[in-house]
Amino acid sequence: MILSVENVSLAFGGVRALQEVSFDVQEHEVRAIIGPNGAGKSSMLNVLNGVYHPQTGKIRFRGEEFTDMESHRAAAMGIARTFQNIALFKGMTVLDNIMTGRNLKMRCSFLHQALWLGPAKREELEHRRAVEEIIDFLEIQHIRKTPVGRLPYGLQKRVELGRALAAEPKLLLLDEPMAGMNLEEKQDMCRFILDVNEQFGTTIVLIEHDMGVVMDISNRVVVLDYGRKIADGTPEEVRNNQRVIDAYLGVAH
Amino acid sequence: MLYREAGQFKSSYAEDQQIFPIRQDRIAMGVLLAVAFVVLPLAGNEYWLSAILTPLLIFALAALGLNILTGYAGQLSLGTAAFMAVGAFMAYNFVLRMPWLGILPSFILAGLCAAAVGVVFGLPSLRIKGFYLAVATLACQFFVLWAIQRIGWFTNYSSSGVITAQQVVILGVPFDTPARKYLFTLTVVALMALAAKNLMRSETGRAFMAVRDMDVAASVIGIPMMKTKLLAFAISSFYCGVAGALHAFAYLGTVEPEAYSLELSFNILFMIVIGGAGSILGSFLGAAFITLFPIFLNLASDWLQNVTGIEIQHAVVSNLRVIIFGALIIFFLIVEPLGLARLWQITKEKLRLWPFPH
Ligand SMILES: Nc1ncnc2c1ncn2[C@@H]1O[C@H](COP(=O)(O)OP(=O)(O)OP(=O)(O)O)[C@@H](O)[C@H]1O
Ligand SMILES: [Mg+2]
Repeated sequence: MILSVENVSLAFGGVRALQEVSFDVQEHEVRAIIGPNGAGKSSMLNVLNGVYHPQTGKIRFRGEEFTDMESHRAAAMGIARTFQNIALFKGMTVLDNIMTGRNLKMRCSFLHQALWLGPAKREELEHRRAVEEIIDFLEIQHIRKTPVGRLPYGLQKRVELGRALAAEPKLLLLDEPMAGMNLEEKQDMCRFILDVNEQFGTTIVLIEHDMGVVMDISNRVVVLDYGRKIADGTPEEVRNNQRVIDAYLGVAH
Repeated sequence: MLYREAGQFKSSYAEDQQIFPIRQDRIAMGVLLAVAFVVLPLAGNEYWLSAILTPLLIFALAALGLNILTGYAGQLSLGTAAFMAVGAFMAYNFVLRMPWLGILPSFILAGLCAAAVGVVFGLPSLRIKGFYLAVATLACQFFVLWAIQRIGWFTNYSSSGVITAQQVVILGVPFDTPARKYLFTLTVVALMALAAKNLMRSETGRAFMAVRDMDVAASVIGIPMMKTKLLAFAISSFYCGVAGALHAFAYLGTVEPEAYSLELSFNILFMIVIGGAGSILGSFLGAAFITLFPIFLNLASDWLQNVTGIEIQHAVVSNLRVIIFGALIIFFLIVEPLGLARLWQITKEKLRLWPFPH
């Protein structure tokens, strides 16, 4: 087990975004989080990598236990993510955006960099090579020097995945990676996610609204509704769960 | 057809990571440096060297400093002149009190003092942004000038509050003529611009831009917010501090604290607005534009007078200058926030495709 979440509760004033949520994630698995709008899915990811701080509950990641994660710490421990509303660095090129994903692996001081001394130059090159591999993997060679602000939405999502991959994460959190994409783009994205999972052995937690996609690529699914976990199991089990069906059909509670 | 990268294939990432990957750009830069280092000192007259080119370079360095902070790291500052003042007066004091240090170490120490002041006044940036941060740096502007005017030590207790910068002597060579002062300034500015370029194309520069563009995402990928912001303040203020020292030692000579007023801070801010925020080249273009434009306007009005015979009053010309600057600043803020540097880049992109536009 790479990650476990125990009884996490998070409230914003009166809004209870998460209530006593517990689940776990196995090494190498693709774990989906689904649920209606406002169910608390994004909040869950934000708790996992320290953007939001839960009032109660515990998170255990690779044997270490936290009551409260710091985002910097989470990154250092190997958690990377993408955002529901793309959070790329708009003024920078695709290449530079993905290079930022490797910042924690770069050791040279700013003085080395200013003088462009041997080690700084070598480090920059070495990481450039790693980033070019990601660029090849995601098939975005043709736009590597383009400022991301000028790219269409689907490609921006891909670049954001690239930036997360650049950190070589153990755990990859994807918040609606396929939202707003056309069918072809969705298929590409599915393929990338499965390839990442298989080739690099990266554990993936993803939020997705498209049930077809969830059924196809995830091993197990957590279902949230109004901040509570209402089901947890294989896609097959979850699909036939009456509470899940009710939640999606909007049956009164 | 002349400006092409066709046929210049890059066989390694190292080649692609050069500052000027396109051969024509490298040649142009070489020519520019040769003109600046050889032709101008030999051919330029004293007035041009001492009253125009030297201050142009110094302001370009200050603009570069501000650009690192505001253009790259996204932290608005109105304290540029204050950091320059720290550099100027501390360099004077280091040379005065520790003459054995030598001029260059004194400049570096003066820059470090400015960096320290920058870090202190950069602390609010950890909590506030944009307009509020600008107000906090405004406090720095007033506080520093007040301290220099009030605390006698800074001006060596001179009764008028004015200091006379010592002569620049390096390894026994005095930099006393306009051409030598210009060369000294040019060397310092060129080296620091190169260092800035290196820094901005490495991890530090990317961290600055990441914080500027989207701070939540930056911290989620592990970029430390506090360290990055304070480093931006430190490096920026160091550049402004050295610019201030040059301003005192290679340009003004006799310096009063009032030279580093808020007006100077604004002027330098306008340089990066017009030249281009987040661009090394833009800092130079902006400084050149703001320094040279009034001269151009005077020449143009003289010429107009000769041709038409109508006398144009000086006041009209200087008013015209203010109006045109104002209009340009608004134009750039609204139409092209990336300034002249961006216009230059667009021209180059067009040129690369010319004569086939698609
Ligand atoms: N920063 C915040 N401040 C206040 N309330 C918040 C904040 N973030 C989320 N919430 C609230 O918490 C609840 C859960 O939001 P969350 O974004 O986690 O839902 P979600 O499941 O991701 O929904 P969607 O499918 O629309 O993305 C919502 O009621 C939302 O309004
Ligand atoms: Mg969401």
